[in-house]
Amino acid sequence: MTAMIGLILISCSDDENPSPRIDAPDTYTFERNGSSTVAFNGQTNRIMMAEELVDAMLDFSITKERLLEMYRNETASGDDASPFDDAGLNAASQNIKSKVAASTDYFAANTSESSQIKADFEFWISAQVEEVFPNQNTVASPGTPGQLADGSSIRYVNARGLVLNQVVAKSLLGALMADQMLNNYLSADVLDAGNKRQDNDNELLEDGENYTTMEHYWDEGYGYLYGTSLDKKNPNSTIGQDDSFLNDYTGTVNNDNDFTGIADEIFNAFKLGRAAIIARSYDVRDEQAKIIRDRVSKVIAIRAVAYLQQAKVALPDDRNNTTAYGTAFQLLSEGYGFVYSLRFTRMPDSDQPYFTKAEVDSMLSSLLEDGPNGLWDVKNSTLDSISESIAARFDFTVAQAGS
Amino acid sequence: MIVLIVACSVENEPTVNSDNFNRKTMLTNWADNIIIPAYENYTDEISGLVKAKNDFIESRTIENLESLKSAWLNAYIAWQSVSMFEIGKAEQLSLRDFTNVFPASKEDIEANIASGTYDLSLPSSRDQQGFPALDYLLHGSAESQAMITARFDSEVNMRNYLSEIVDRLSSLSIAVLQDWSAGYRDEFISKDGSTASSSVNKLVNDYMFYYERALRAGKIGIPAGVFSNTPLSDRVEAFYRKDVSKTLFMASLNATIDFFNGQFFDGSDQGASLQSYLNFLNSVTQGTDVSSLINDQFTRTLTQAESLSENFYSEVENNNEKMLETYDELQSNTILLKVDMFQALNIQVDYVDADGD
Repeated sequence: MTAMIGLILISCSDDENPSPRIDAPDTYTFERNGSSTVAFNGQTNRIMMAEELVDAMLDFSITKERLLEMYRNETASGDDASPFDDAGLNAASQNIKSKVAASTDYFAANTSESSQIKADFEFWISAQVEEVFPNQNTVASPGTPGQLADGSSIRYVNARGLVLNQVVAKSLLGALMADQMLNNYLSADVLDAGNKRQDNDNELLEDGENYTTMEHYWDEGYGYLYGTSLDKKNPNSTIGQDDSFLNDYTGTVNNDNDFTGIADEIFNAFKLGRAAIIARSYDVRDEQAKIIRDRVSKVIAIRAVAYLQQAKVALPDDRNNTTAYGTAFQLLSEGYGFVYSLRFTRMPDSDQPYFTKAEVDSMLSSLLEDGPNGLWDVKNSTLDSISESIAARFDFTVAQAGS
Repeated sequence: MIVLIVACSVENEPTVNSDNFNRKTMLTNWADNIIIPAYENYTDEISGLVKAKNDFIESRTIENLESLKSAWLNAYIAWQSVSMFEIGKAEQLSLRDFTNVFPASKEDIEANIASGTYDLSLPSSRDQQGFPALDYLLHGSAESQAMITARFDSEVNMRNYLSEIVDRLSSLSIAVLQDWSAGYRDEFISKDGSTASSSVNKLVNDYMFYYERALRAGKIGIPAGVFSNTPLSDRVEAFYRKDVSKTLFMASLNATIDFFNGQFFDGSDQGASLQSYLNFLNSVTQGTDVSSLINDQFTRTLTQAESLSENFYSEVENNNEKMLETYDELQSNTILLKVDMFQALNIQVDYVDADGD
């Protein structure tokens, strides 16, 4: 028996005849005939695959082939593969690669850009094995991959100071999770395509399932944030702790006094949007999608600025002290990945991201081009100007994000 | 935590800092009456450790093992008075990282001994050397003193490893002292301005970093489980010896307090330091007496720490509330130091709190 009290919200419509009131439940609990209608294990699987892949990039005994198999969940010749430690993932039909840069809104008609982005990840994965692994026991220096101390941790960088496992992790956050959520599963075009609206109106369920396609798509969007949450119906109880991707950083941003409440705003929008689908209130549904786009895009932008600003503090006073770059490179590489992810954000009232691929590529280049050795040479002024460019398109300041 | 972010400015060293406090006098007191004497003491104790090591390597008796263990402890205690001064040569060499990263990795140490090949200069080798590695070798590498002695007696690789890690501690410490004595002292004192790269700003940041990470977190908070889901009794300092954790902690805490108050290393007098600086500033602003608040909190911390058992491992296992109470006292001063003191001195924090994943 579900608790269907909780929020009663009136849709934000300018109509003189207001839309019907929608009861959103307290938790993300939706049922039909006594059974749940919510399912998103594909998203859960991809988050778990991404976790294993990123961790494996620091396993110096692993092969490039195996890492690429984890990215593709198939062999180089396209056969079934079992590259994961988790047996469930090996048995799963999903893979990461096919959903990287694969949103309908951004990439259905842009397969050339999509394939470049998918290839970026294979490039970074290969570089980790080919350039960084052989230098496991080298101390890194400008132009030489190797290891650096970062507090009590050790960071492994390529010749230009990039910590590639962090680049992959923070870039996947945008290219897989955010892109699928904001530009595919919450997209009105996707949710309404073909007969989906009519089917939802008629409660036409998918074959053998307890949900309409529209309900399911919305839940799949939800799954990219909460797919590995401890309590998937009440995920904010552990927000920030449940993965290394969108969940992690939604929690981090929510813990910043400047942005408290953002986790609730996102969750409530998911919940209300889902209730709106049941109530067939598509305007309300789309309003919630806008809120989610706004807030999730903001999380990505805030973390990009935060990491670049923290890196400024972490860069050694004496820029010739090459052994002291470990912390800065870790932070810069995370920032690099979040900047990369800006291309997959979505302005709430638009079909466009906050930053185009060209703009993002330009920011990424400028991080690496202050000198011949990439991040080794990065200037504070570059970090500040990128931070300012990002913050300018949002409603937060560099100072707010940077602390 | 407040991070003061100020727009980047051109790094010129002004000859007079903005608040008229005589930083040069304070830097001179620090260098001549605290830092250099503490390093001299440390290198003396290290040379005692080297000698005891050489004696034991030459003649593997239980008596010589006892002497070596005693020399280890004396050097470890002396280390606690210099660990916070990670500036100049010590910063360049990452002295603290190669001297006292714990827990040591006994698996990697044994692998190094077995293979005979390793590179102690790598950052990834930090947990295979220094005092914690010696702690393992001298107290944890076999079930009893007799068996430890027997291992050293029969395993030449183990003797070589012992020798190398002691010699490395020695060469690192000597390099740092020599640098102070042969020119860095003058350089340190001459950078008496108030920019981010001035000696005061850098050393105050080093002090704060040491207080937060090494003293508060490393010796108390991490073992007590403050930063993890459960207490981690195997992360205490001197885990294998077990019964000197409190001695080391008190040495460190007292060194921290003494530095704050400008206490000479030999205890004979007090000179200019953070306490007098804060008092000077307070006489101008007539604000809160921050130095008294800090010293009062140090006193409370000492009292609380005195109540701990000598064995932090068993304290964490059986009595962790006392460790947590000690952490709380240390934490109270973290705020007074990092916020109130930094603001009063107009110094910005130059390190990041973020764990960086």
